[in-house]
Amino acid sequence: MSLKRILSTALLSIVLVCTIPVVDQAARTAIASEKQETALSMTIDTKKLSGINLVIARMYNEDRVLYAAMVTIVMAVLGTVLAFLTDLVLKALGLEVSRISHRE
Amino acid sequence: MNSFNIYLPVAGIEFNAILLVSIGFCVGVLSGFFGVGGGWIVTPALNIFGFHMAFAIGTDLSNIFGQTIGAVRKHHKMGNIDWKLGLISIFTSVVGLEIGSDVIIALEKAGDVGIIVRWCYMLLLWGLGSYMLHDYFGSRQKASAPSIGEGDKRTGKVSPGISERLHRITIPPLVSFPASGIEGVSVWIILGIFLFTGFMSGFLGVGGGFIIMPALVYLIGLPTAVAVGTSLVTVLFSGAYGCLSYALKGRVEVVAAIIMLIGASIGAQVGSTAVKYIKGYGIRLLFSVMIVLAGFSVALEQAYKITNHHVFQTYAGVVLIGTAISMSVIIIGKLIADARKERGRR
Repeated sequence: MSLKRILSTALLSIVLVCTIPVVDQAARTAIASEKQETALSMTIDTKKLSGINLVIARMYNEDRVLYAAMVTIVMAVLGTVLAFLTDLVLKALGLEVSRISHRE
Repeated sequence: MNSFNIYLPVAGIEFNAILLVSIGFCVGVLSGFFGVGGGWIVTPALNIFGFHMAFAIGTDLSNIFGQTIGAVRKHHKMGNIDWKLGLISIFTSVVGLEIGSDVIIALEKAGDVGIIVRWCYMLLLWGLGSYMLHDYFGSRQKASAPSIGEGDKRTGKVSPGISERLHRITIPPLVSFPASGIEGVSVWIILGIFLFTGFMSGFLGVGGGFIIMPALVYLIGLPTAVAVGTSLVTVLFSGAYGCLSYALKGRVEVVAAIIMLIGASIGAQVGSTAVKYIKGYGIRLLFSVMIVLAGFSVALEQAYKITNHHVFQTYAGVVLIGTAISMSVIIIGKLIADARKERGRR
Protein backbone atom coordinates (compact mmCIF):
# COMPACT_ATOMS: atom_id res chain seq x y z
CA MET A 1 0.00 0.00 0.00
CA SER A 2 1.51 3.34 -1.01
CA LEU A 3 2.16 6.09 1.53
CA LYS A 4 -0.28 8.35 -0.34
CA ARG A 5 -3.05 5.77 -0.03
CA ILE A 6 -2.32 5.22 3.69
CA LEU A 7 -2.41 8.99 4.30
CA SER A 8 -5.67 9.48 2.41
CA THR A 9 -7.27 6.51 4.23
CA ALA A 10 -6.08 7.93 7.56
CA LEU A 11 -7.44 11.38 6.66
CA LEU A 12 -10.80 9.95 5.67
CA SER A 13 -10.93 7.93 8.90
CA ILE A 14 -10.18 11.06 10.95
CA VAL A 15 -12.97 12.98 9.19
CA LEU A 16 -15.37 10.09 9.76
CA VAL A 17 -14.42 9.88 13.43
CA CYS A 18 -14.98 13.64 13.70
CA THR A 19 -18.55 13.15 12.48
CA ILE A 20 -19.32 10.89 15.46
CA PRO A 21 -19.86 13.83 17.88
CA VAL A 22 -22.31 15.35 15.37
CA VAL A 23 -24.29 12.10 15.26
CA ASP A 24 -24.03 11.84 19.05
CA GLN A 25 -25.32 15.40 19.38
CA ALA A 26 -28.20 14.50 17.08
CA ALA A 27 -29.09 11.57 19.35
CA ARG A 28 -28.94 13.73 22.49
CA THR A 29 -31.04 16.48 20.95
CA ALA A 30 -33.55 13.93 19.74
CA ILE A 31 -33.82 12.35 23.18
CA ALA A 32 -34.06 15.74 24.91
CA SER A 33 -36.72 17.06 22.57
CA GLU A 34 -38.76 13.87 22.49
CA LYS A 35 -42.03 14.68 20.81
CA GLN A 36 -41.87 18.43 21.39
CA GLU A 37 -43.12 19.11 17.92
CA THR A 38 -44.37 22.40 16.58
CA ALA A 39 -48.10 22.86 16.63
CA LEU A 40 -49.93 22.89 13.31
CA SER A 41 -51.53 26.28 13.20
CA MET A 42 -53.13 28.01 10.24
CA THR A 43 -52.43 31.53 11.51
CA ILE A 44 -49.28 33.02 13.00
CA ASP A 45 -49.35 35.24 16.09
CA THR A 46 -47.67 38.42 14.79
CA LYS A 47 -47.55 40.32 18.14
CA LYS A 48 -43.95 39.44 18.99
CA LEU A 49 -42.61 39.56 15.42
CA SER A 50 -40.72 42.31 13.64
CA GLY A 51 -38.78 42.91 10.43
CA ILE A 52 -38.72 40.21 7.76
CA ASN A 53 -40.40 37.68 10.08
CA LEU A 54 -43.37 40.04 10.41
CA VAL A 55 -43.60 40.48 6.63
CA ILE A 56 -43.55 36.71 6.10
CA ALA A 57 -46.11 36.10 8.87
CA ARG A 58 -48.51 38.74 7.49
CA MET A 59 -48.25 37.30 4.01
CA TYR A 60 -48.86 33.80 5.42
CA ASN A 61 -51.93 34.97 7.36
CA GLU A 62 -53.48 37.25 4.74
CA ASP A 63 -52.79 35.75 1.30
CA ARG A 64 -51.81 32.09 1.11
CA VAL A 65 -51.57 32.13 -2.71
CA LEU A 66 -49.11 35.03 -2.58
CA TYR A 67 -47.16 33.21 0.16
CA ALA A 68 -46.98 30.04 -2.01
CA ALA A 69 -45.88 32.05 -5.06
CA MET A 70 -43.25 33.87 -2.99
CA VAL A 71 -41.86 30.58 -1.57
CA THR A 72 -41.67 28.93 -5.01
CA ILE A 73 -40.06 31.94 -6.71
CA VAL A 74 -37.58 32.56 -3.87
CA MET A 75 -36.49 28.91 -3.85
CA ALA A 76 -36.06 28.88 -7.64
CA VAL A 77 -34.12 32.16 -7.78
CA LEU A 78 -31.99 31.44 -4.73
CA GLY A 79 -31.27 27.90 -5.93
CA THR A 80 -30.10 29.22 -9.31
CA VAL A 81 -27.98 32.06 -7.87
CA LEU A 82 -26.32 29.87 -5.22
CA ALA A 83 -25.59 27.14 -7.78
CA PHE A 84 -24.05 29.73 -10.10
CA LEU A 85 -21.84 31.15 -7.33
CA THR A 86 -20.77 27.68 -6.16
CA ASP A 87 -19.94 26.81 -9.76
CA LEU A 88 -17.65 29.85 -9.96
CA VAL A 89 -15.83 28.77 -6.79
CA LEU A 90 -15.47 25.19 -8.03
CA LYS A 91 -14.13 26.47 -11.37
CA ALA A 92 -11.56 28.57 -9.51
CA LEU A 93 -10.54 25.42 -7.63
CA GLY A 94 -10.01 23.63 -10.94
CA LEU A 95 -13.16 21.51 -10.69
CA GLU A 96 -14.72 22.69 -13.94
CA VAL A 97 -17.09 20.32 -15.72
CA SER A 98 -17.77 19.77 -19.39
CA ARG A 99 -19.34 16.97 -21.44
CA ILE A 100 -18.09 13.67 -20.03
CA SER A 101 -17.63 10.19 -21.45
CA HIS A 102 -19.83 7.75 -19.60
CA ARG A 103 -17.50 5.20 -18.01
CA GLU A 104 -18.92 2.33 -16.05
CA MET B 1 -24.04 27.06 19.30
CA ASN B 2 -27.06 28.78 20.83
CA SER B 3 -25.97 32.09 19.29
CA PHE B 4 -26.81 30.54 15.90
CA ASN B 5 -30.39 29.89 16.97
CA ILE B 6 -32.95 31.70 14.85
CA TYR B 7 -36.69 32.06 15.21
CA LEU B 8 -38.75 30.39 12.49
CA PRO B 9 -41.97 32.43 12.23
CA VAL B 10 -44.18 29.93 10.41
CA ALA B 11 -43.24 26.82 12.43
CA GLY B 12 -43.10 28.97 15.59
CA ILE B 13 -39.89 27.40 16.97
CA GLU B 14 -36.24 28.31 17.45
CA PHE B 15 -33.80 26.32 15.37
CA ASN B 16 -30.04 26.18 14.96
CA ALA B 17 -29.05 27.72 11.61
CA ILE B 18 -25.77 25.77 11.45
CA LEU B 19 -27.66 22.53 11.85
CA LEU B 20 -30.00 23.50 9.00
CA VAL B 21 -27.11 24.41 6.69
CA SER B 22 -25.32 21.15 7.59
CA ILE B 23 -28.38 18.98 6.92
CA GLY B 24 -28.87 20.85 3.64
CA PHE B 25 -25.24 20.43 2.61
CA CYS B 26 -25.17 16.66 3.26
CA VAL B 27 -28.43 16.04 1.46
CA GLY B 28 -27.33 18.30 -1.42
CA VAL B 29 -24.17 16.25 -1.94
CA LEU B 30 -26.22 13.03 -2.01
CA SER B 31 -28.81 14.58 -4.32
CA GLY B 32 -26.31 15.79 -6.91
CA PHE B 33 -24.31 12.57 -6.76
CA PHE B 34 -27.06 9.94 -6.71
CA GLY B 35 -29.90 11.76 -8.49
CA VAL B 36 -32.24 11.57 -5.51
CA GLY B 37 -34.19 14.25 -3.65
CA GLY B 38 -33.07 13.14 -0.22
CA GLY B 39 -36.47 13.57 1.40
CA TRP B 40 -36.06 10.27 3.22
CA ILE B 41 -33.19 11.89 5.15
CA VAL B 42 -34.34 15.48 5.60
CA THR B 43 -37.96 14.81 6.58
CA PRO B 44 -37.16 12.49 9.53
CA ALA B 45 -34.19 14.67 10.50
CA LEU B 46 -36.32 17.83 10.74
CA ASN B 47 -39.02 15.85 12.53
CA ILE B 48 -36.52 14.55 15.10
CA PHE B 49 -35.27 18.09 15.76
CA GLY B 50 -38.78 19.36 16.48
CA PHE B 51 -40.58 20.12 13.21
CA HIS B 52 -44.15 18.90 12.89
CA MET B 53 -44.19 16.17 10.21
CA ALA B 54 -46.31 18.27 7.78
CA PHE B 55 -43.85 21.20 8.06
CA ALA B 56 -40.91 18.81 7.72
CA ILE B 57 -42.28 17.40 4.44
CA GLY B 58 -43.26 20.80 2.99
CA THR B 59 -39.97 22.47 3.94
CA ASP B 60 -38.02 19.52 2.57
CA LEU B 61 -39.87 19.58 -0.77
CA SER B 62 -39.12 23.31 -1.15
CA ASN B 63 -35.46 22.63 -0.44
CA ILE B 64 -35.43 19.76 -2.96
CA PHE B 65 -36.83 22.10 -5.62
CA GLY B 66 -34.20 24.77 -4.99
CA GLN B 67 -31.20 22.45 -4.73
CA THR B 68 -32.11 20.38 -7.80
CA ILE B 69 -32.20 23.37 -10.20
CA GLY B 70 -28.43 23.83 -10.04
CA ALA B 71 -27.75 20.10 -10.08
CA VAL B 72 -29.89 19.59 -13.20
CA ARG B 73 -28.09 22.47 -14.93
CA LYS B 74 -24.72 20.92 -14.12
CA HIS B 75 -25.71 17.41 -15.21
CA HIS B 76 -27.07 18.89 -18.45
CA LYS B 77 -23.69 20.51 -19.03
CA MET B 78 -22.00 17.13 -18.57
CA GLY B 79 -24.41 15.47 -21.04
CA ASN B 80 -25.95 13.38 -18.26
CA ILE B 81 -29.60 14.08 -19.00
CA ASP B 82 -31.89 12.27 -21.39
CA TRP B 83 -34.66 14.88 -21.55
CA LYS B 84 -37.00 12.73 -23.62
CA LEU B 85 -36.84 9.90 -21.10
CA GLY B 86 -37.04 12.36 -18.20
CA LEU B 87 -40.26 13.93 -19.50
CA ILE B 88 -41.86 10.51 -20.14
CA SER B 89 -40.87 9.56 -16.61
CA ILE B 90 -42.54 12.64 -15.11
CA PHE B 91 -45.92 12.11 -16.77
CA THR B 92 -46.05 8.32 -16.36
CA SER B 93 -44.84 8.37 -12.77
CA VAL B 94 -47.71 10.72 -11.84
CA VAL B 95 -50.24 8.09 -13.01
CA GLY B 96 -48.41 5.35 -11.07
CA LEU B 97 -48.20 7.62 -8.03
CA GLU B 98 -51.95 8.19 -8.06
CA ILE B 99 -52.60 4.42 -8.28
CA GLY B 100 -50.13 3.81 -5.43
CA SER B 101 -51.73 6.40 -3.16
CA ASP B 102 -55.22 5.04 -4.01
CA VAL B 103 -54.08 1.58 -2.93
CA ILE B 104 -52.83 3.06 0.35
CA ILE B 105 -56.15 4.84 0.95
CA ALA B 106 -58.03 1.57 0.26
CA LEU B 107 -55.74 -0.36 2.63
CA GLU B 108 -56.09 2.32 5.32
CA LYS B 109 -59.79 1.47 5.62
CA ALA B 110 -58.77 -2.05 6.67
CA GLY B 111 -56.49 -0.86 9.48
CA ASP B 112 -52.98 0.42 10.21
CA VAL B 113 -51.26 0.34 6.85
CA GLY B 114 -48.01 1.85 8.16
CA ILE B 115 -46.58 -1.48 9.27
CA ILE B 116 -47.19 -3.09 5.85
CA VAL B 117 -45.68 -0.09 4.07
CA ARG B 118 -42.55 -0.22 6.23
CA TRP B 119 -42.10 -3.96 5.58
CA CYS B 120 -42.36 -3.29 1.83
CA TYR B 121 -39.96 -0.34 2.20
CA MET B 122 -37.41 -2.51 4.03
CA LEU B 123 -37.72 -5.31 1.46
CA LEU B 124 -37.29 -2.84 -1.40
CA LEU B 125 -34.25 -1.12 0.15
CA TRP B 126 -32.49 -4.33 1.17
CA GLY B 127 -33.48 -6.20 -1.99
CA LEU B 128 -32.27 -3.38 -4.24
CA GLY B 129 -29.13 -2.83 -2.15
CA SER B 130 -28.23 -6.54 -2.20
CA TYR B 131 -28.81 -6.79 -5.95
CA MET B 132 -26.63 -3.75 -6.60
CA LEU B 133 -23.87 -5.08 -4.34
CA HIS B 134 -24.06 -8.46 -6.08
CA ASP B 135 -23.87 -6.69 -9.45
CA TYR B 136 -20.89 -4.61 -8.32
CA PHE B 137 -18.84 -7.57 -7.07
CA GLY B 138 -19.86 -9.59 -10.14
CA SER B 139 -18.56 -6.82 -12.39
CA ARG B 140 -15.28 -6.70 -10.48
CA GLN B 141 -14.83 -10.43 -10.96
CA LYS B 142 -15.52 -10.00 -14.68
CA ALA B 143 -13.06 -7.12 -14.88
CA SER B 144 -10.32 -9.26 -13.32
CA ALA B 145 -10.80 -11.80 -16.17
CA PRO B 146 -9.06 -9.77 -18.96
CA SER B 147 -10.98 -10.90 -22.05
CA ILE B 148 -14.45 -10.31 -20.62
CA GLY B 149 -13.43 -7.06 -18.97
CA GLU B 150 -12.10 -5.65 -22.21
CA GLY B 151 -15.33 -6.61 -23.95
CA ASP B 152 -17.38 -4.68 -21.46
CA LYS B 153 -15.17 -1.64 -21.79
CA ARG B 154 -15.40 -1.73 -25.58
CA THR B 155 -19.16 -1.95 -25.83
CA GLY B 156 -19.76 0.42 -22.96
CA LYS B 157 -22.88 -1.59 -22.08
CA VAL B 158 -24.10 -1.19 -18.57
CA SER B 159 -26.16 -4.08 -17.33
CA PRO B 160 -26.48 -6.94 -19.75
CA GLY B 161 -28.99 -8.72 -17.51
CA ILE B 162 -32.54 -7.51 -17.03
CA SER B 163 -32.41 -4.47 -19.34
CA GLU B 164 -31.25 -6.47 -22.37
CA ARG B 165 -33.94 -9.05 -21.79
CA LEU B 166 -36.54 -6.26 -21.64
CA HIS B 167 -35.14 -4.69 -24.82
CA ARG B 168 -35.80 -7.99 -26.64
CA ILE B 169 -39.56 -7.54 -26.08
CA THR B 170 -40.35 -5.58 -29.25
CA ILE B 171 -44.06 -4.83 -28.98
CA PRO B 172 -44.69 -1.78 -31.23
CA PRO B 173 -44.43 1.16 -31.18
CA LEU B 174 -40.69 1.22 -30.59
CA VAL B 175 -38.94 4.31 -29.30
CA SER B 176 -35.28 5.37 -29.31
CA PHE B 177 -33.32 7.42 -26.79
CA PRO B 178 -30.20 8.59 -28.63
CA ALA B 179 -28.95 10.58 -25.62
CA SER B 180 -28.76 7.32 -23.65
CA GLY B 181 -27.57 5.19 -26.55
CA ILE B 182 -30.78 3.13 -26.52
CA GLU B 183 -32.37 2.15 -29.81
CA GLY B 184 -35.67 0.46 -30.53
CA VAL B 185 -37.19 -0.30 -27.15
CA SER B 186 -40.92 -0.90 -26.78
CA VAL B 187 -42.71 2.16 -25.47
CA TRP B 188 -44.88 -0.18 -23.35
CA ILE B 189 -41.82 -1.39 -21.47
CA ILE B 190 -40.79 2.19 -20.70
CA LEU B 191 -44.31 3.14 -19.61
CA GLY B 192 -44.57 -0.02 -17.50
CA ILE B 193 -41.30 0.71 -15.70
CA PHE B 194 -42.28 4.29 -14.87
CA LEU B 195 -45.77 3.20 -13.83
CA PHE B 196 -44.11 0.78 -11.42
CA THR B 197 -41.65 3.37 -10.02
CA GLY B 198 -44.50 5.89 -9.67
CA PHE B 199 -46.67 3.27 -7.97
CA MET B 200 -43.90 2.48 -5.48
CA SER B 201 -43.46 6.24 -4.78
CA GLY B 202 -47.16 6.62 -4.06
CA PHE B 203 -47.36 3.42 -2.06
CA LEU B 204 -44.31 4.15 0.09
CA GLY B 205 -44.94 7.90 0.32
CA VAL B 206 -41.48 8.86 -0.97
CA GLY B 207 -40.23 11.17 -3.74
CA GLY B 208 -39.01 8.27 -5.82
CA GLY B 209 -35.51 9.35 -6.90
CA PHE B 210 -33.94 6.36 -5.16
CA ILE B 211 -36.31 4.02 -7.07
CA ILE B 212 -36.02 5.75 -10.46
CA MET B 213 -32.22 5.93 -10.56
CA PRO B 214 -31.61 2.15 -10.21
CA ALA B 215 -34.63 1.43 -12.45
CA LEU B 216 -33.06 3.54 -15.20
CA VAL B 217 -29.77 1.66 -14.83
CA TYR B 218 -30.96 -1.92 -14.38
CA LEU B 219 -34.29 -2.00 -16.22
CA ILE B 220 -33.72 0.47 -19.06
CA GLY B 221 -29.94 0.10 -19.32
CA LEU B 222 -28.78 3.72 -19.01
CA PRO B 223 -25.17 4.53 -18.12
CA THR B 224 -25.10 5.36 -14.39
CA ALA B 225 -24.23 9.05 -14.84
CA VAL B 226 -27.12 9.52 -17.32
CA ALA B 227 -29.44 7.72 -14.90
CA VAL B 228 -28.39 10.14 -12.13
CA GLY B 229 -29.04 13.24 -14.28
CA THR B 230 -32.32 11.96 -15.77
CA SER B 231 -33.61 10.93 -12.35
CA LEU B 232 -32.91 14.48 -11.14
CA VAL B 233 -35.25 15.86 -13.83
CA THR B 234 -38.13 13.89 -12.28
CA VAL B 235 -37.05 14.98 -8.80
CA LEU B 236 -36.97 18.64 -9.93
CA PHE B 237 -40.54 18.57 -11.22
CA SER B 238 -41.95 16.68 -8.24
CA GLY B 239 -40.07 19.09 -5.94
CA ALA B 240 -41.54 22.14 -7.72
CA TYR B 241 -45.05 20.72 -7.54
CA GLY B 242 -44.61 19.70 -3.89
CA CYS B 243 -43.18 23.10 -2.95
CA LEU B 244 -46.13 25.00 -4.44
CA SER B 245 -48.73 22.56 -3.14
CA TYR B 246 -47.43 22.46 0.45
CA ALA B 247 -46.90 26.25 0.51
CA LEU B 248 -50.54 26.75 -0.55
CA LYS B 249 -51.55 24.57 2.40
CA GLY B 250 -49.32 26.68 4.65
CA ARG B 251 -46.95 23.84 5.44
CA VAL B 252 -43.64 25.34 4.28
CA GLU B 253 -41.37 27.05 6.80
CA VAL B 254 -39.79 29.43 4.29
CA VAL B 255 -37.01 30.76 6.56
CA ALA B 256 -35.82 27.23 7.34
CA ALA B 257 -36.07 26.25 3.66
CA ILE B 258 -33.94 29.25 2.60
CA ILE B 259 -31.25 28.56 5.20
CA MET B 260 -31.18 24.87 4.34
CA LEU B 261 -30.93 25.76 0.65
CA ILE B 262 -27.66 27.65 1.25
CA GLY B 263 -26.01 24.38 2.27
CA ALA B 264 -27.99 22.24 -0.17
CA SER B 265 -27.12 24.28 -3.29
CA ILE B 266 -23.43 24.15 -2.48
CA GLY B 267 -23.67 20.44 -1.68
CA ALA B 268 -25.59 19.65 -4.87
CA GLN B 269 -22.92 21.34 -7.00
CA VAL B 270 -20.18 19.40 -5.21
CA GLY B 271 -22.11 16.12 -5.57
CA SER B 272 -22.81 16.71 -9.27
CA THR B 273 -19.14 17.53 -9.91
CA ALA B 274 -18.13 14.26 -8.21
CA VAL B 275 -20.05 12.31 -10.90
CA LYS B 276 -17.42 13.50 -13.39
CA TYR B 277 -14.63 11.84 -11.43
CA ILE B 278 -16.20 8.68 -10.02
CA LYS B 279 -16.96 5.80 -12.37
CA GLY B 280 -20.47 4.40 -12.77
CA TYR B 281 -19.86 1.31 -10.67
CA GLY B 282 -18.38 3.44 -7.89
CA ILE B 283 -21.64 5.45 -7.79
CA ARG B 284 -23.65 2.23 -7.71
CA LEU B 285 -21.55 0.77 -4.88
CA LEU B 286 -22.00 3.85 -2.67
CA PHE B 287 -25.71 4.01 -3.54
CA SER B 288 -26.23 0.36 -2.58
CA VAL B 289 -24.46 0.82 0.78
CA MET B 290 -26.55 3.91 1.44
CA ILE B 291 -29.90 2.23 0.78
CA VAL B 292 -28.96 -0.84 2.83
CA LEU B 293 -28.24 1.50 5.78
CA ALA B 294 -31.47 3.39 5.10
CA GLY B 295 -33.21 0.00 5.33
CA PHE B 296 -31.78 -0.43 8.85
CA SER B 297 -33.22 2.93 9.78
CA VAL B 298 -36.67 1.84 8.55
CA ALA B 299 -36.25 -1.41 10.52
CA LEU B 300 -35.57 0.62 13.70
CA GLU B 301 -38.64 2.75 12.99
CA GLN B 302 -40.64 -0.46 12.58
CA ALA B 303 -39.28 -1.74 15.91
CA TYR B 304 -40.46 1.53 17.52
CA LYS B 305 -43.96 1.10 16.10
CA ILE B 306 -44.14 -2.47 17.37
CA THR B 307 -42.56 -1.99 20.83
CA ASN B 308 -43.34 1.73 21.40
CA HIS B 309 -39.82 2.31 22.79
CA HIS B 310 -38.73 5.82 21.76
CA VAL B 311 -35.10 4.78 21.73
CA PHE B 312 -35.69 2.86 18.46
CA GLN B 313 -37.16 5.94 16.80
CA THR B 314 -34.28 8.10 17.99
CA TYR B 315 -31.67 5.71 16.66
CA ALA B 316 -33.57 5.35 13.38
CA GLY B 317 -32.96 9.07 12.90
CA VAL B 318 -29.38 8.80 14.07
CA VAL B 319 -28.66 5.99 11.58
CA LEU B 320 -30.12 8.14 8.78
CA ILE B 321 -28.17 11.25 9.74
CA GLY B 322 -25.02 9.19 10.30
CA THR B 323 -25.44 7.61 6.86
CA ALA B 324 -25.94 11.00 5.20
CA ILE B 325 -22.85 12.50 6.89
CA SER B 326 -20.62 9.48 6.21
CA MET B 327 -21.68 9.23 2.56
CA SER B 328 -21.12 12.95 1.99
CA VAL B 329 -17.65 12.71 3.53
CA ILE B 330 -16.77 9.71 1.36
CA ILE B 331 -18.05 11.41 -1.82
CA ILE B 332 -16.13 14.64 -1.11
CA GLY B 333 -13.02 12.65 -0.16
CA LYS B 334 -13.24 10.66 -3.40
CA LEU B 335 -13.83 13.85 -5.41
CA ILE B 336 -10.74 15.53 -3.95
CA ALA B 337 -8.56 12.42 -4.37
CA ASP B 338 -9.65 11.73 -7.96
CA ALA B 339 -9.45 15.40 -9.00
CA ARG B 340 -5.89 15.55 -7.65
CA LYS B 341 -5.02 12.33 -9.43
CA GLU B 342 -6.39 13.72 -12.72
CA ARG B 343 -4.48 16.96 -12.27
CA GLY B 344 -1.32 14.95 -11.59
CA ARG B 345 -1.83 12.99 -14.82
CA ARG B 346 -2.10 16.24 -16.79
